[in-house]
Amino acid sequence: MTPSGPFAHLDGERRVIDSSQDSMVRPGQLPPLFQFSQNSLQDYADCRRRFQLRFIEGLRWPAARSEPIEEHEQFVNHGVDFHLLVQRHLLGIPIEKLAPVENPLAEWWDAYLHYPPPDLPTTLRLPEVQLSTPLAGYRLMAKFDLLAIDPGERAVIVDWKTSRKRPPRDQVLNRLQTHVYPYVLAEAGTHLFGRPIAPEQINLIYWFAAAPTDPEILPYSADRHAENRAYLEGLIGEILTIDDEIWPLVEDEFHCRYCEYRSLCDRGVRAGSLDEIDAAEEESDWDFEWDDVEEIAF
Amino acid sequence: MNSHTGEYSGEADPRTMLVEGPFGVGKTSFAIETLFTWLSDGVPPENILVMVPQRTLAYPYWEALRGADYGPLGSVDVRTVNGLAKDMVNIYWPLVAGEAGFAEPERGPHFLTLETAQYAMADFVDRAVENGEFDAINVSPQQIARQIVDNLGKAALMGIDYRQIPDFLTGAWGPDRPRKRVLAYQAAGRVADAYRQYCLKYRLLDYSLQIECFTRLLRLPDFREAFFGARTHLIVDHVEEEDALTHTLIRDWLPHLDAALLVYEQDGGYRVFLGANPEGGQALARDCEGVLTLSESYFTSPGLEALLDEVAYSFNQPGSDPAPEGSDLAFDFAFHSYYPQMIDWVADRIDHLVHDQGIAPKEISVLAPFLSDALRFSLGQKLDQRGIPHVSHRPSRALRDEPAARCVLTLAALAHPEWGERPPQADVAQALQLAIAGLDPVRAALLAKVVYRPGGDEVLTAFDRITPQMQARITYVVGQRYDHLRDWLVTAAAERATALDHFFSRMFGELISQSGYGFHDDPEAGRVVAELVESARKFRQSLYSDQSIDPIEIGRRYFTIVRQGLLAALYVASWRDEHADAVFMAPAYTFLLRNRAVDVQFWLDVGSVGWWERLDQPLTHPYVLSPNWPAGRIWTDSDEVVRQEEMLYKIVSGLIRRCRSHIYLGLSDLGEQGYEQRGPLLRVFQQILRRHPQPVEGLEVSRE
Ligand code: SF4
Repeated sequence: MTPSGPFAHLDGERRVIDSSQDSMVRPGQLPPLFQFSQNSLQDYADCRRRFQLRFIEGLRWPAARSEPIEEHEQFVNHGVDFHLLVQRHLLGIPIEKLAPVENPLAEWWDAYLHYPPPDLPTTLRLPEVQLSTPLAGYRLMAKFDLLAIDPGERAVIVDWKTSRKRPPRDQVLNRLQTHVYPYVLAEAGTHLFGRPIAPEQINLIYWFAAAPTDPEILPYSADRHAENRAYLEGLIGEILTIDDEIWPLVEDEFHCRYCEYRSLCDRGVRAGSLDEIDAAEEESDWDFEWDDVEEIAF
Repeated sequence: MNSHTGEYSGEADPRTMLVEGPFGVGKTSFAIETLFTWLSDGVPPENILVMVPQRTLAYPYWEALRGADYGPLGSVDVRTVNGLAKDMVNIYWPLVAGEAGFAEPERGPHFLTLETAQYAMADFVDRAVENGEFDAINVSPQQIARQIVDNLGKAALMGIDYRQIPDFLTGAWGPDRPRKRVLAYQAAGRVADAYRQYCLKYRLLDYSLQIECFTRLLRLPDFREAFFGARTHLIVDHVEEEDALTHTLIRDWLPHLDAALLVYEQDGGYRVFLGANPEGGQALARDCEGVLTLSESYFTSPGLEALLDEVAYSFNQPGSDPAPEGSDLAFDFAFHSYYPQMIDWVADRIDHLVHDQGIAPKEISVLAPFLSDALRFSLGQKLDQRGIPHVSHRPSRALRDEPAARCVLTLAALAHPEWGERPPQADVAQALQLAIAGLDPVRAALLAKVVYRPGGDEVLTAFDRITPQMQARITYVVGQRYDHLRDWLVTAAAERATALDHFFSRMFGELISQSGYGFHDDPEAGRVVAELVESARKFRQSLYSDQSIDPIEIGRRYFTIVRQGLLAALYVASWRDEHADAVFMAPAYTFLLRNRAVDVQFWLDVGSVGWWERLDQPLTHPYVLSPNWPAGRIWTDSDEVVRQEEMLYKIVSGLIRRCRSHIYLGLSDLGEQGYEQRGPLLRVFQQILRRHPQPVEGLEVSRE
């Protein structure tokens, strides 16, 4: 007899995966569990050597990224706390159980409640969702703070930004995140949308705790999708063809001031000041998680 | 239904299924196939959860899910139940914090690791030790803390109040054994209570409180509905390694699911110390609509099958028969008088296998009951000499034993005279040698001797204050580097409010990883110091973020516990290690849970009782503190023997099943510590050799 339910494949041929037989790590190559993300691609765009050190060599280098470290740490912690707070809210925890008492969290929370991102779809509100799609022989992954979807109609990606200043529009547009997020949603969001998503049905919103009434709303389009595909494929293709022993170091040493590898590259001693970092870069700095390099959080 | 390689029994079209079989019959492959079938059938990936008992067992799923050949995908979560529980408690904290008795529940929780939990308990233990409350047992305060932390976790898994633990242990101890032990159980109970109140006060969540809060959450109808409703499809791999509480969770979950596949490995259940309950795992078959039994091994050769038969027969397994006479058992046994000879033999054999027989290094594993640093080092060195790459798994090496960490800690002590620590001169010499490029051990010792002034106003003297002859011997280049290091430490010492982890980061980035210093191009040092930074940060943030204690004092406390060896390096073998083409050296138990087969295994110290004996843990008990043990029943010596035999059989048969071609057994008359070796594993192989005589390297005849 042939079953038809979740185990219909039971009668088929067994295929055995002996995981010790494949995916051996070879020096100079991306590791087998690697998937591209906005963080790794941003690293590559900022400095190829940084990409090599972080993702190919998996080198941990515990120098400060920016100074004062104490403030940097607080900044990271507040960012994490705010994301958690919003996640709790979106998951339905009663608002009276959430009110934070300390600033800046209390201020941000107030801003979020009074000036939420405008005109969000209401049917589905999915915090902390991850999607991925194949691209150039690898997977490209995006982890969204919030996907708000009216299936079949429109989808909005929301990213909460807790940088101290609102970055100018051109800085935001240039970030890899702006390319990766809508691209991945358009490619991999079908099951959430109920049918394939046309790029025009996607908006990306950056919401700034420092400027809640002035979010950056970025509509998406088929043209931009095609450009993004070419751009992202090009980047990955480039990464896969580099075979230098030491990948090129970035020319503009400004990046090195906020890079933990500066001692290894002989690019300076003390970490750059938090006050001088671009808001967009400041944000990506905390968004980076070591988990991107290795396995997902366990 | 008679599937390709297995026997199926159950409903025609099951919604839930348990697949069972020993290692290597394709259970996980079937689970992965099932996962992808569900995805192809249109099950939203977010609705699928894969649970595994530990990270290493998630690799096959990650590999499959991260391959580019599968199209667009949402995230299929591959999690441990502990990771899931911790996440749920973190997110839904506002729903449980008050009810669970935490002070200031509107503020966030702090999650403790095993080490930070032990530290949080340390004061309570120390006081009890000083009062003589633990005189009846001969273990260190750290061990006492560790065992009490374990007990709290076990109580959470058993679903009982932790205050009942002394009664459980007393019941199993019985009335006829020395009463002093019972007093120690009671003292442990008091410490547990004081520690628990402390955790509640500062919202510190150790493993036990994470589990208790998660259990509490599951009792809230809204949460329960949301949690069970969030997934429609579930795969649980290695249910035999999960604890009873997880089995209950799965059992409660099953009716809510559209489909579930549970994977049970016969002969598994190695994680007894973590509450593994193989019987409970197998019992889940009764809750499933179908059971698929797979039995055809994809890995083991006829010679190893014959060895498995022999081992089963030696352990009196029901229905077992010895292998037919003349069977070619796929093992070799070599005897050596001294331990180093055994290590040479292993290195030579591996050399032959790799260079003459073309076996890939990653197809070779070297296994021992424990992997000491000495073994790792000496064998590693010999393999290096032969040009053979190797990696080792060191699950519990203390941070203080890592040279890079020692160096950083010593320099930290020099920059923090207010700690009152005076590192020995030899440590300072070693730190200088590692930190300053171009400084050899002899000159480092000289330098430390002339510049180090423990207790002086200036802990380190400037280079220009030492005699010209000495300056010349040390060299001026090194002298300049030393002066810069000294200046840096003096400046850092003046910045009093710096957290220790920040100090480490700055010192690493601005000083010792700069050109001219020892860590400039040293990835291993980078990794170790990164761990140190992370561990110090967790220590500070989890234990002290709600207490207004001077960062200097927090740093001093951290320094003290690292020096005591309490903090283990967090290092777990990464995928880089797991996948490198290198000989893998590991404790047998670690290798088993890696769930991989290799062509060739070396078993070292087969005479060691370490293959058999449980750690001596007088204040806890993995079998008694389990839902399977009837409360009040006395744990007897014969219970001990039965359980140890069971475990040894599991280990030995599990290892054989994870081998494709050949096993080499190494024995030295005197073990690593110089003791004579006559453990039970040796006796098993002596029996086998009697039934199937074969030449033993190093002996004329077998030693029976
Ligand atoms: S220090 Fe500069 S050159 Fe080196 S990896 Fe970082 S950004 Fe690139």
